Amino acid sequence: MKWVSRQFGDLEYDENMVIHFAEGLFGFEQFRNYIIVHDVDSEPFRWLVSVENEGLSFPMLEPGMILPGYEGHVGNDKEIWVLAALKHDVEQSTVNLRSPIVIDRRSYEARQIILDDESLPFQFPLVPGGNGTKGR
Amino acid sequence: MLVLSRKLDEDIRIGDQIIVRVLAVKDGQVKLGIEAPRSVQVLRGELVDQAQKENQAAARVDRSSAAAVAASLADLRTRGKGTTE
Repeated sequence: MKWVSRQFGDLEYDENMVIHFAEGLFGFEQFRNYIIVHDVDSEPFRWLVSVENEGLSFPMLEPGMILPGYEGHVGNDKEIWVLAALKHDVEQSTVNLRSPIVIDRRSYEARQIILDDESLPFQFPLVPGGNGTKGR
Repeated sequence: MLVLSRKLDEDIRIGDQIIVRVLAVKDGQVKLGIEAPRSVQVLRGELVDQAQKENQAAARVDRSSAAAVAASLADLRTRGKGTTE
């Protein structure tokens, strides 16, 4: 399949790799199908790229890089990502630990959940000492 | 919006699988019991609002900002203050 993303230009993907969100993401419920794009320039981030809206993409990170053991909050059998609100300045950048993306590794069915754990902030600083709703 | 009044221990049913019951009313707070299938996420409205706000912030990120942050992270890591470890 071919897709043209505003940020990434021409993308080619296999239909089997499409991640399906039956309910979409919060605030973006109308878009259900995404692929994960690995952009070498922005490693370690990956991009959740809509294949229905050419302007829609979300940078995300493996949560273990930010908070070791985080997977235990969700369940170890799933692939887990947290979305990153990146500002040009790393100190202003945050990751959303409260509502991760959870992907079933076999079916590629995914959903964004909200964890019932108030110790996990929506805006967790990407780096120690950075600005977020919780210091680290 | 449908508006209706319920007394203590009364419930409402939404479809044939969702039940919302009034468990307690005290000092301006209402305690609700909710029964719903596992496939239905039951969430506090303000948390959904916040999740939407964060998603919108993430959706605004462009590739060059992400690359700048990635470069800063790599730089911090080589100086031994990175986010890993």
